[in-house]
Amino acid sequence: MSTARSERGKSTTGEDAAGRRTTGRNGTVRLNWRTRLRRDRTLLLMTVPAVVLLLVFNYAPLFGLVTAFQYYDPLVGVRDSEWAGLAQFQQLFHDPLFWGALKNTLWLSLVQLVLFFPVPIALALLLNTVLSERLRNFIQSVVYLPHFFSWVLAITIFQQMLGGAGILNHFLRQNDMAPWDITTNPHTFALLVTSQAIWKEAGWGIIVFLAALAAISTELYEAAAADGAGRWRRMWHITLPGLRGVIVLMLVLRLGNALTVGFEQFLIQREAVGHESADVLDTFSFYYGIATGNYSFGAAAGLFKSVISLLLIWGANKLAHAFGEDGLYRR
Amino acid sequence: MTPLLAACGGGGSKHKTGANSAEGVKSALPAFAASTSVAADIPSVPGPDGAMTDPAFLTYPANPVATVTGVPGKGGSYTAVTPLWGTVPPADNSFYAAMNKALGITMEMKPADGNNYNTIIPTMTAAKKLPDWIQLPTWWNSNFNVGELAASQFADLTPHLAGDNIKKYPNLAAIPTGAWQAGIWGDKLYGIPSFSTGFSIAGTTFYRRDLLEARGITADQVKTLDDLMNLGKELTDEKSGTWAFDDVWTYLFPFFGLPNKWKLADGKLVHKYEMPEFLEALDWHYKLATAGYLHPDAIAGNNADANTRFYAGKTLIQGGGPGVWNLADHLSGTAATPGFRRGSFDFLTAKAGATPSLFMGSSTNMMSYLNAKLKPEQIEELLAVANYLAAPYGSAEYTMVNFGVEGTHYTRVNGVPTANDEGKKDVQAQTYPFLATASSVISNPGADQVTKDIAAFQAANVKYLYKPLFWNMNISMPQNIATVDTAQAVEDTVKDCYHGKKKVSDVQAAISTWKSNGGDRLKQWMTDNVLSKYGTGQ
Repeated sequence: MSTARSERGKSTTGEDAAGRRTTGRNGTVRLNWRTRLRRDRTLLLMTVPAVVLLLVFNYAPLFGLVTAFQYYDPLVGVRDSEWAGLAQFQQLFHDPLFWGALKNTLWLSLVQLVLFFPVPIALALLLNTVLSERLRNFIQSVVYLPHFFSWVLAITIFQQMLGGAGILNHFLRQNDMAPWDITTNPHTFALLVTSQAIWKEAGWGIIVFLAALAAISTELYEAAAADGAGRWRRMWHITLPGLRGVIVLMLVLRLGNALTVGFEQFLIQREAVGHESADVLDTFSFYYGIATGNYSFGAAAGLFKSVISLLLIWGANKLAHAFGEDGLYRR
Repeated sequence: MTPLLAACGGGGSKHKTGANSAEGVKSALPAFAASTSVAADIPSVPGPDGAMTDPAFLTYPANPVATVTGVPGKGGSYTAVTPLWGTVPPADNSFYAAMNKALGITMEMKPADGNNYNTIIPTMTAAKKLPDWIQLPTWWNSNFNVGELAASQFADLTPHLAGDNIKKYPNLAAIPTGAWQAGIWGDKLYGIPSFSTGFSIAGTTFYRRDLLEARGITADQVKTLDDLMNLGKELTDEKSGTWAFDDVWTYLFPFFGLPNKWKLADGKLVHKYEMPEFLEALDWHYKLATAGYLHPDAIAGNNADANTRFYAGKTLIQGGGPGVWNLADHLSGTAATPGFRRGSFDFLTAKAGATPSLFMGSSTNMMSYLNAKLKPEQIEELLAVANYLAAPYGSAEYTMVNFGVEGTHYTRVNGVPTANDEGKKDVQAQTYPFLATASSVISNPGADQVTKDIAAFQAANVKYLYKPLFWNMNISMPQNIATVDTAQAVEDTVKDCYHGKKKVSDVQAAISTWKSNGGDRLKQWMTDNVLSKYGTGQ
C-alpha cells in the first residue's frame, strides 16, 4: 500500500515537472529567490504540511538509527545502552537467514518488475481505447476496488479460492483429480504473491498512467489521423512517447523501492510456505529484531536496507538522466 | 563472532539477573488465608509433587453472597490490555459500563489478539507505552523478558502484599502461595495471578468425542502416539473436506519424553534441542503432515479459524490450551453442530505399555502486572479492584464478572445463569478474569457434561504430572541471552517441519547454527547463574 501511495504522490510532481518543462522551453529568466518566493508562496504554503509530515515521520526517526550501533535495550533507553560498534552488522552478515531474506527480496522484486510493472500500463492503454465513458468508469471502479481491501482480506479470498481446502481443490478432489498446491508451495510463492499484488494493486496503479494519457494533446492524434496514421502507429508514435517520462519515473521509483516488496502480505503467508521462502528484509527485521527483543539487530538490518535502497535510487536516477529523461528531478 | 557476542556479556541491562533467592521469596510472599467458599460437588484429587485437580461445581448458588463491601474503586481512570483468543467484544459495551459501575473506576479494556500477543507486546514495552494494567501469559516470559521489564516498568507490589499486608484483600489472600511465587522477580513481588491451578499443563490433545464415539472410537483405545497416527488414516476423508488433525505439536511433543526446555543428566544441563527424542518427535509430526492427515488451512498457518474447523467437524483432533475447554466453547460448538462434545485424549506415550508423564507448568499461566508509573494510592485502588475480581466461585462478584447483570446479560434458567444474546456478545471470559481471579475451579453452568468431562480428564491424569527442572523459578535474563532462549530461528524451522515443509535434517541444521550462535552460551549462562546459584527448584 505504501508503494501505491508514494506512486500517487510522485505522479503529481511528475505532472508538475512535465508542465514546467513546456514553460521552461519557452525560456524563463532566472529570478532572484525573493521574487520567486513571493511568486510561489501559495504553492510553497501548500507543500508545508507534506514537508512537516516528512520531517516528523521520516527524518526525525533517523536518530533511532544509532541503536544499530548499540546493544540497545529499550528498558534502559538509547542514552544508556551499551555501545556495540559494528558488532550487530558482523552478526547480521554472518546470519544465513539474513542472506536468505535478501535473496528473497531481490528475487520477488525482479519477478514483480517483470510481471507486475507492465500490467497497469497495459490496463491504462486498454482503458484509454474504451470510448464509452460509462463503461470506462465502471471498469475503472471495478479494478480500483481491491486496492481498498486489506491484505488479510485479499489473502483470505485467495485461500478460500485456491487454498488446500479451498473451492478449487475441493472441486478437484470431488472429481477424483489430484489437488493443486498453490497457496502453500514455496517454489511458486513468488508467482502467487505477484498475482495477489496484480489483483489488488494493478487497478490502482493505472491512475498515474491515465493522468499522463489525458495530458497528451488530442490535436496530435487528430493531426496524425489526418495524415493517415492507423491505430497502432498512433499508439507507437504518440501515446507511448507521451507516457515515456512517467514510465521512466515510475521505474526509477520502483528500483529505489526494490528492497521494499511489502510486509503484511508476507507476514500473513509466512507459515503457509515456511519462513525461508517468505521472509523478506522487512519481515526478517520484525521477527528476528523486534519480536525477539533484539532491536539493535533489527535496526542494523533496516539500516543496511536503507543504504542499499539509496544507492539503487541514485543509480536508477543517473541512468534515467543518461537516457535524457527527467527521472526524479530535472537536471 | 563468539568473542563479539561474549563482549556484550551482561547486555545493556543494569538490573540483577538470575533467579529468586530462597530468603527473598520468603520475605516477598503474601500470607495465605483460605476463603470460606462453597463446597465443591467434585472435590479435588491430589497427585504427586503437590499437583491436584481443580474442584468442580455442578450447581450455582441461588443467592450469591457478596465478599466485598461497598465499591472497591475511588473513581480513578485506567487502561488494561489483555490477550483474547476469540472475537473482541465491542469497545463501549453495556458489560464494560456495568463493570465500571460495580468497580467504581473507569477501566478502558483493550483486549488484543491472543494469537499475535507475543509480537504485539514487545513493541509496547520498547516504546514504554504500557497500559496501567497488563496481562503477560507466563509461557512468553522470555519473549517479553519479564524479569527485566518488572524491574523497570512494573509496580513493586511487595510493600502492599507481602506477609500479612495482603489481609486487606481477603480474596487475593486466598490465592495459593505457589501462584504468587510465579509473580516474584528479583526477590520482589510484581505479578497478580489468574486461574492458578494445581493441574497446570500447557495444553492437551482434544478430539471430537461426539463424532469419534459415533464411529466406535473411544479415548481409552488411544494410548500411544502410534495409535494416534493410525487415527489419521482412519479419519481423514479429503473428499468430504475432513482432515483428522489440526496443529498438535505444541502439546504433543512432551510425550516423546521431552522436557519443556531443560533436563538434568549427570548433573549437567541438557536442552531439549540436543535430545534424540526431539528429532523423533519432529519425525512423527513431519510424517503426520506429509501423509496428508493435517488440515490444509492449518498448514497454511491459519490458526485463527482452528476452532471453527473443529466445530464444523472439518478437523477431528486438535491441540489446545486447557482454557479452550469451557462453557463458551460448548455453546459455540453446539451452535455449529448439535451434539458437539469436546474430549481430551489422556496423556500418551511413545512406547506401548510405558507410563506416561508430563511436566507441570508454573502454578499459573496467566499473570497480570501494574504499571510502575502508578502512584501508591492508585496501586491500592487497583489492588482493591483485583480483590473484587478474585472473588471465589459463586459469590456476587464472581457472578458479575463472569455473567454480567441479571436481566441485561443473563437470565436464570433452572437456577443456572444463562447468557442471553447481549451477554454472549459482551461478556467475555477472557477480559477481566485475565487481570485477577480466584484459583481455578471447573464450572460450566448449564453444561454439566463439560464440567464432568474435564474433572474426569484431570483425575485420570493428575498422577502422571511431575515437577520439572527450574519449576516456578522466575529466571531473569539479560536481553541477549533471552533472545537466544527464544530461539526464533529454530522454532520457525520446527513449525515448517511439523507442517511438512522442512525436513528433520533442516531442523538439525538450524539447531546446530543456534548452538554455535549462542545456544552453548545460553547453557553456560543457565549453569552459572541459575543451576549452580539457585539449584534445580525441584
